[in-house]
Amino acid sequence: MGRRRRRQPDPADAARALPEAIAALSRTLPAAPSPEIFRRAKFDRPEAAPALWRLLFHVLSPLSADSASVSFTLVDGPPELASPIAEAQVRWVKSVLHSQGYPRLALVQLQDDGSQGGRELLLALAWLLARGPLPERLLTQSHVRLGDEMPVCECEALASPGPPAPRVEAEGSVDIRHLQWLMGKLQLRWRNLMAGQQEQCALLGKIHSYTRGCHSDRSLGHLSVTETELLRDPEGGRQLLQRLETENARLEAALEWRHRELVFWRWMDTVLDTCPLEASPPTFLPRIPEPGAGAAGLPVRELQALQEELQALQEELRKAVEARRAAWQAAVGGHGPEWRAARRALQVAVAQDLAALQWAWEQGKGQARPHGPRRLVRTEARVPGRLGLWATEATEALRAREACLEAMLHQLQGQCRQELARLVGVRPGLIWVPPPAR
Amino acid sequence: MLPAECSRRLVAELRDALDSCAELQRQLEQSLRVSRRLLRAWEPAETPAPEPTPGPEINEEAPSSACPPSPQDLKELELLTQALEKAVRVRKGLSKAGEGVKAHSLKSGSTSPATRASAPPSTSHCAGSCAPGTKPPRGIRHPWVPAKDLPGRRLLLVGDGAHMGKGAGANKPEAGLRDQQIIPQAAPPVPEAFTLKDKGALLRLPEAFRKAASRNARLWAQLSSMQTGDSVDAAAATAKTQFLQKMQTAAGQPGSRLSSAEVGRLQKACSLLRLRMREELTADPKDWTQEYRSLLTLEGLQALVGQCLHRLQELRSAVVEQPQGPWPEGPPRAASPCGGGADPMWSPQLLLYSSTEELQTLAALRLRVAMLDQQVHLEKVLPDSGAWVTVCSGGVGHGEDSRLSLLVQPPRSTREGVDEGTCECAGALGGGGGTGAWCLDSCPRLGPLKCTRPP
Repeated sequence: MGRRRRRQPDPADAARALPEAIAALSRTLPAAPSPEIFRRAKFDRPEAAPALWRLLFHVLSPLSADSASVSFTLVDGPPELASPIAEAQVRWVKSVLHSQGYPRLALVQLQDDGSQGGRELLLALAWLLARGPLPERLLTQSHVRLGDEMPVCECEALASPGPPAPRVEAEGSVDIRHLQWLMGKLQLRWRNLMAGQQEQCALLGKIHSYTRGCHSDRSLGHLSVTETELLRDPEGGRQLLQRLETENARLEAALEWRHRELVFWRWMDTVLDTCPLEASPPTFLPRIPEPGAGAAGLPVRELQALQEELQALQEELRKAVEARRAAWQAAVGGHGPEWRAARRALQVAVAQDLAALQWAWEQGKGQARPHGPRRLVRTEARVPGRLGLWATEATEALRAREACLEAMLHQLQGQCRQELARLVGVRPGLIWVPPPAR
Repeated sequence: MLPAECSRRLVAELRDALDSCAELQRQLEQSLRVSRRLLRAWEPAETPAPEPTPGPEINEEAPSSACPPSPQDLKELELLTQALEKAVRVRKGLSKAGEGVKAHSLKSGSTSPATRASAPPSTSHCAGSCAPGTKPPRGIRHPWVPAKDLPGRRLLLVGDGAHMGKGAGANKPEAGLRDQQIIPQAAPPVPEAFTLKDKGALLRLPEAFRKAASRNARLWAQLSSMQTGDSVDAAAATAKTQFLQKMQTAAGQPGSRLSSAEVGRLQKACSLLRLRMREELTADPKDWTQEYRSLLTLEGLQALVGQCLHRLQELRSAVVEQPQGPWPEGPPRAASPCGGGADPMWSPQLLLYSSTEELQTLAALRLRVAMLDQQVHLEKVLPDSGAWVTVCSGGVGHGEDSRLSLLVQPPRSTREGVDEGTCECAGALGGGGGTGAWCLDSCPRLGPLKCTRPP
């Protein structure tokens, strides 16, 4: 297919290739308008803008942490005819694009009512598509999960809370007892979670063992809750099947898009050419940003926190290294030539080790194993040849993380104690109070 | 009282933490509801299409209908039977191949016409009183039966299984059974409910579903393999890079701004480095080789941390230099160690466990790690200086105040925060001027506290 495109294409093919590519894109993205809208957007026609705003919104919101905070009307029917996009959503799209580093200022200059800017929005969409595998990400995010899933990576188990309701904070100061009450409530919630989780695991274990041998896929062996549920409830099963088939259609469209996308990029070059060059410095007064906001929408606080973490890490390492180096110098002695060779070998090994570690975060792959929730499969212990992560191994990895966090917590508490002790020395009249006997 | 700003922040953080827990709880409860329902006896109205019935089950199902079928249903049944008979004749050869597997997987002996005949069909008219669900719910195994063609929601066929909703009538391939089977019988037997425990092993997934699921897996695999580059991809990748560059230069903005991706990388670096450091520090070197290796590793980690800090400083100074543009305030980016490294592509990953205890241990540990994470975050939220002192004060009920002495004195800056409300405690103690009275029991940061007398 690539070769076909490289030689001079037949004009008829060329005429077809672009609409087909855009059609494939449109079929794989959620809430995408027809290829005709895309074409009109190139010429900045007004009818293109609302549809593209909507598309951008639907493309950005699944992948954003706080999408829940921006309510939106569901789109039934053709996207072009859906109700106009709200101003809040337009602003949200602008700010998300900005925080991702969108370079063009023209976007922010578009009116908030969403009535203009088809071409700019088209460029924004192309920019998102060029930076990463956007259709695939969206499909992964909305993937129909058929199994009982459990994430075992280092991701936080807690999702970010739902829409952060604008809270009316207490006027003035806060009663300490209120804080205590909140903390107690939090403890209670965790206890309930733990208990509920244990019960759920027990139930899963039963369901998995009762349905052993039922699955057509031998590597799975038993049914999951989702699958059993669809047998119990045919109506729900029908809906699940429909979702699955929709996803299949989008997957096929994504594959087609990947095959055809080159012609789209050539076209986008022409779109960019039709845009006037942006003036280098903005000629209007920039809006004063909120205090504490960085250029990429990152609060300075977050950067500060990261710096402090790194510095704390550096300090801990420094102490450890000093101690060990001293101990080493004291202990070493009288090692012969074989020691030098061994030392060099060790240096090389450690260097490789650390390079791999560095690569892990540079390349954006945090773990050796793929990441994300995994399907639970109950199986006989240690059957060789099973491809998958064993729960026992995952448990070990989590224990390491648990130890790490506990150490961090103790360290923070230790700092607090030190500080308190320091204050005790500074302020007379300080009395310590024993905790009440429970 | 507490200084307003820090206490508000702490309250906000606590409320966020509570909300996160509540969300988890909600999801958990939903899963629990579903699971519990699956393990109870399945409601007859919900029983899905059964598979061709194995022997023992037929007997149990014999009393499957409590009311006679209506003439309309009988007619439908007749039509259906004819269609199925025809299908059987056509596909007899094909299904024979699968015979052995199916018979085995049914986990029962071969079925006999006699037992089949004893199980009467029930119809939708008897939905209320009948128990079409007495037949063990089964999926559809025969690929050739079109799921959507068959009419009627609760039409059950003896031996052929039945179709419910989207299910299709399944058939045993044995020829000749058909004629004997479709005898509507108005037997009023006691329906026996389906339980997963007893008959779970007989379930089969519907064909349409299986097809869709396997197609889904295949498409994902294709999509994954596309990412690993071929000639088409290379050309497209070049085109994309060029487009991005063009966008950047056309924008007229100086240089590249602080990208959240870069910061995300640094955050991940920090957590990976910390994890690695912990491993090294807790490891126990057994000989000088290991000791030396450990030392080298720690030194290497130190260097890497230095590099990260340096890079962070660079980024921060770049941020300061650039003009703050007229962008609307964006949403705070949620930084997670895995977020940056998240696989853009789904792939089937399995988590294998062999006993319920294993699973429970893993799940409990996951929750514990999440809880610790949250606690650490809360710890860090407290700003520096005097504020934490006041936070250390945890309120105890008034009843217990009597035997408690005075408490931690607030830092000077917050003294003005003291108001009438707290003076009751101070009053009981005759506390010194200007001291805030808080009950201090176990501080979230300090843990239980000792008692010492003032000088």
